[in-house]
Amino acid sequence: MRRLVWVLAVLGALVSVVPFYWMIVAATHDGSELFASPPPFLPGGDLLNNIVKLEESVHFARVMATSVWTALVYTALSSLVSAMCGYGLAKYRFHGRGLLLGVVLATMMVPFQVLLVPLFQMMASIGWVDTYQAIIIPFLANSFGIFLMRQAFLDFPDELLESGRLDGAGDMRIFYRIVLPVVRPQLGALVIFTFMSQWNSFIWPLLMLNSEERYTVPVALNHLIGLSHVDYAGLMLGAFLATLPLMLVFLVFQRQFVAGLLGGAVKG
Amino acid sequence: MKRAIAGLSLVLTASCATGGVPAKEAPKITQSANAKVSGNIEIWSWDVAAKALQRLAPEFEKANPGVKVKVTDIGYDNAYDKITVGLKSGAGLPDIITLEDTAIPGYAENFPDGLVDLTPVAGKYKADFDPAKWQAASTAKGLYALPWDSAPVGLYYRRDYFEKAKVDPKSLTTWDDAVKAGEKIKQATGKRLFVSDLASVATFTTLLQQLGQGYFVDGKVAVNSPDAVRALTLLKTLKDKDLLQNEKGWDGRVTATKQGKAATQPTAAWWSGTLTAEMPELSGKFGVVPLPAFEAGGSRTSANGGSALSITAQTKNQQTAWAFLDWLLAGKERQVSMMRTEALFPAYLPALTDPLFDEPQPYFGGEKVNRLFADEVKEIPPVELTGDDKQAEELLKKAVSACLLNGEDPKAVLDGAAEQLAAATQREIAP
Amino acid sequence: MSSVAVDVPKIRRYGRRRRTVAWVFAGPAAALLALFFAYPLAASLLQSLEGGFGNYARLVRDPSFLRSLSNAGLILVVQVPVMIGLATVLAYVLNQSWLKFRATLRVAYFLPAVTTLVAYAVVFRVLLRTEGGAVNQVLGLQVDWLNDPFWARVALIASLTWRWVGYNAVILLAGLQGIGREQYEAAAIDGAGSLTTFRRVILPQLRPVVVFCSITSTIGTLQLFDEPLVLTGGGPGDATLTPILYLYQVGFKQLDFGYAAAIAWAVVALIGALSWVQFRYFGSRTSGKERA
Repeated sequence: MRRLVWVLAVLGALVSVVPFYWMIVAATHDGSELFASPPPFLPGGDLLNNIVKLEESVHFARVMATSVWTALVYTALSSLVSAMCGYGLAKYRFHGRGLLLGVVLATMMVPFQVLLVPLFQMMASIGWVDTYQAIIIPFLANSFGIFLMRQAFLDFPDELLESGRLDGAGDMRIFYRIVLPVVRPQLGALVIFTFMSQWNSFIWPLLMLNSEERYTVPVALNHLIGLSHVDYAGLMLGAFLATLPLMLVFLVFQRQFVAGLLGGAVKG
Repeated sequence: MKRAIAGLSLVLTASCATGGVPAKEAPKITQSANAKVSGNIEIWSWDVAAKALQRLAPEFEKANPGVKVKVTDIGYDNAYDKITVGLKSGAGLPDIITLEDTAIPGYAENFPDGLVDLTPVAGKYKADFDPAKWQAASTAKGLYALPWDSAPVGLYYRRDYFEKAKVDPKSLTTWDDAVKAGEKIKQATGKRLFVSDLASVATFTTLLQQLGQGYFVDGKVAVNSPDAVRALTLLKTLKDKDLLQNEKGWDGRVTATKQGKAATQPTAAWWSGTLTAEMPELSGKFGVVPLPAFEAGGSRTSANGGSALSITAQTKNQQTAWAFLDWLLAGKERQVSMMRTEALFPAYLPALTDPLFDEPQPYFGGEKVNRLFADEVKEIPPVELTGDDKQAEELLKKAVSACLLNGEDPKAVLDGAAEQLAAATQREIAP
Repeated sequence: MSSVAVDVPKIRRYGRRRRTVAWVFAGPAAALLALFFAYPLAASLLQSLEGGFGNYARLVRDPSFLRSLSNAGLILVVQVPVMIGLATVLAYVLNQSWLKFRATLRVAYFLPAVTTLVAYAVVFRVLLRTEGGAVNQVLGLQVDWLNDPFWARVALIASLTWRWVGYNAVILLAGLQGIGREQYEAAAIDGAGSLTTFRRVILPQLRPVVVFCSITSTIGTLQLFDEPLVLTGGGPGDATLTPILYLYQVGFKQLDFGYAAAIAWAVVALIGALSWVQFRYFGSRTSGKERA
C-alpha cells in the first residue's frame, strides 16, 4: 500500500515537473529546433549560446539585478507594513478598525485591472512614471499579507503582552522584542508570498517603466515576443533563470513557510 | 497574439456603444516655417521597427545638431496596453508612437484629442503613399498617422509539393483553381493547402479585404454582406475538403510551416522575414505568386498588418517630431534603407521603384519576390476601418469558429454576428 | 471574516492611549490603502456610472458576459472541488514521515505555481498540440485540445489544476502539521486504518484550512485571467471566456472603459456574495473560537 502511494506521488510529481523540464530542454536548444517534429525531449548544446544571446537582446544580468533589489526592498517594507497592520488589527480596538479590515478584504476581491487607469493617472500626476518607487510603493499594503498576519496575531497569548507591559516596555518595544520573534514562522511565509508576488508582477511594471535600463525580468522577457519573430529559446531560458531566485527563497524558507501558515490563516 | 488584418476607415459615424465620446477635435499640428528643429524627442516602437529607428536616429541627430532622439523598444506583445493607458490617462506617452493600421481608428475615435492631426503638414504626400494605408490612418476628422510599412499579401507556395503534384503555381488565378489544385496536391503529397487558425478571424478578414470590404460599409454593419458570406464560404469549402491545416497561434503556424504541413500560405510580404529566420534549411523550397482572385480579373492581393507612426498630443516638441517623421518616412532614401536592412516594406510608393526590389532572392530560388510584392502595394483594396472594428472582430471570431469548427452555415452565423454587432454598436445593418 | 476574535474586556483595560498607539501600527497600511486603493477604486466606480446605470443594464443582456459567468461557474463547480480534493490527499501524503524524498516532492509539486506566465503559455501550447503534441502522444489520442469547445475547457481545467494543486497542498500541509501527533496515535490505538484516520480524524480538523483554500480559489476563479488568455484567448467562441478576460477585451481592446468598470463591479459583488456564503455555511461550524 505504502509502495503504491509512493509510486503515485512520484508519478504526480513528474507530471508537475514535466512542463518545467521541457522549459529547461527548450532553453538549451536553438530556437528553430523547438519546432521540429517531434519536439526535442533531451537537453541540447546551445545553453551557453542562448545565454549570450539573451544577455545581448535584453541585458539579462542588469534586468535580473533590478528585479532582485526591487523585490528585496519591496519585500522588506511590505512585510513590515503588513505585520504592523496585522498586529494593530488583531490586538487593539480602535475607531475605524472594522472599516480598515473591510478595505483589506475588499482589495482581495477587486480585480486589479480595474484600478490600472486611475492609479496610472495618479502616478503621472505626481511624476512617478518610469521610476522605481512607482513599482514599489503603491502596493506595499498587501492585503493577503495583512490578513495572514492578523490571523497569526489573533492566536498570540495576551498574557505575554501583559507581562511585557508590567516590565514597563512600550508598545513598539513589545512588538519588536516579544511579538515578532514568536511569529517568525508566519513572517517567513509572509516573506515568501510577498517576494513571489513582486517577482512575478508584470502588468504594473510594464505600464510604469519606460526606460529599458529600469526593466524588471517579466517586462524584459516580454520583449522577446515580436511581431514576426518570437525568440522562444530566449523566452524559455529567461523564464527558467527567473525561477531560480524563487526556488532558492522557497527552499530556504520551506520549513518556516509550512509552519508559518499553520499558525495563521485558519486555525480552528 | 498576432494581430493580423488590415483595413482602414473613412466615414465615421462617430457613434460609440456607450455614447460617451465627446465630440472633441483632434489638435492640428502647428508648424512655423522658420522654427528651428531642436530638443529631445522619444519614440516607442517594437521588434525590427525599433531596430530600424535605433539605427537611423543617429543619422537624424547628425543632420540636425542639438536634436536627441530616444528610441524605446516597449515590446510588441503588450504595447497596446501601455499605449491605451497612456491615452486614457492623458499622461506618460512619448512624442511619437508606433501603431498598426488596425489600431489607429479605435484610438482616433475613442481618444480624439490624444493624437495629433497631421493633415496640415502631411496632406501634400497623399498621392505618394499606399492608398489603403493612407485610408487606414485617416478618419473623417483628420490624418492620425503617417504610413510606414505596407503588408501586401501574396500566395507563398512550396515548389516541391507543386512539382510532385504536377500543378503549375501560376495556374492558380482564382480561388476555384486553388481549391482544385489543393485537392490534387493533397492526393499527391498528403499536405493540406494552407495553415489557418480556425478559431481566429485573420484569414477571413484578409479575404474580405481582397474583396474590397471591411466590417462596416458607410458606417453600417456589413459583416453579413454577400462578399463576407463569399469569403467565409470559401473557407468552409476548404475546411470541408480538409484542405486547411488548423494551428493555434503564432508558434503553431511557424511550426506547421517548418514541418512542411501545408503547400501554400496566403500571407504578407513580412512572412519572408520569418521564413528566412526560423527555417533557413528550407531555402529554395518556397516561391510566391499573386493571391488567387475570387473571380477572373478580380483583385489579386490584400493586406495583412503594417504599421504607421503617430505624434501624440502629449508631445512638447511637435516641430522636431514631425521633422523626424518627414525625414524618415516621406522620402526614398530611408524607406529603401529600412527595406534593405530590416525588411520593412515601404508604404512610400516612389521607394518601390528602387533597383533593390529587382534583386533575385536566393531563399526563393532566385525569384524576384520583392518586385511582385512591390507591384501589389498600390493595388491593395482600401477598406473602411472604424473604432468598432475590435468589437466586430470578437463577434466574428465566434461566428467564424462556429462555421469552421462546428460546421454551421456561413450565412446564418454571419447574420447572427451582424445582429449582435448592430445591437452593441447601435449601428444599422447595411442593406 | 467573521473573526473578530479579540477579547473585548481585556482591550478596554488598555484604555484610550492604546487607541492612539493602534494607529501607529495600522496607520501606514491604512494610509497606503486609502491613497493607492480607495481612491482608484472610487474613480473606477464613478466611471462605471458614466451615462447612468446603462452599463449595468447592458450586462444582463450581454450574451458574452453571461457566458463568461457560466464558464466561471463551471470551473467553480468542477475544477475547484477536484483541485481542493486532490490537494488535500496530496498534503496528507506529503505529510507522511515514511515518504522518501519528501522535501524534493514538495518542491516538485510547488514548482508549477512559480513558473513565469510566458513560459507556461508556450510550454502548454507545445504539449497540447494536436499533431505531435506530447499529451496526445502519451494518451494515444487525436484531440484538438484548444479548438474544440469541450476539450478546450478540459484543457483549461487541467492546466489550472496542474498549476495550483501544489500551492494549495502546501497550505493544507501547514494545516495538517497543526494536528497533534497524539490524535493520530489515539486513532491508531483504536485500530483505525489509514483511510479511517484520514476520514474521521484528519478531515474534520482540516476543515477550516479547506474553507480558506476554497475561498481563495473561488476568488481566483472569478478573477481568472492569465490561463485562458495565454491558452485559448477565451475561445473557441466564448467556450473559455472568463469575466475578467472579457473585462480586459472590453476595456483594453474595445476601449469601452465604462462598460469594463461595470463588469468589474458585477464580479466584485459576486465574489463578495460567494465568500460570505462560504464563510457562513462552511466556515462557521469550525470557527467557534473566532466567534467567541
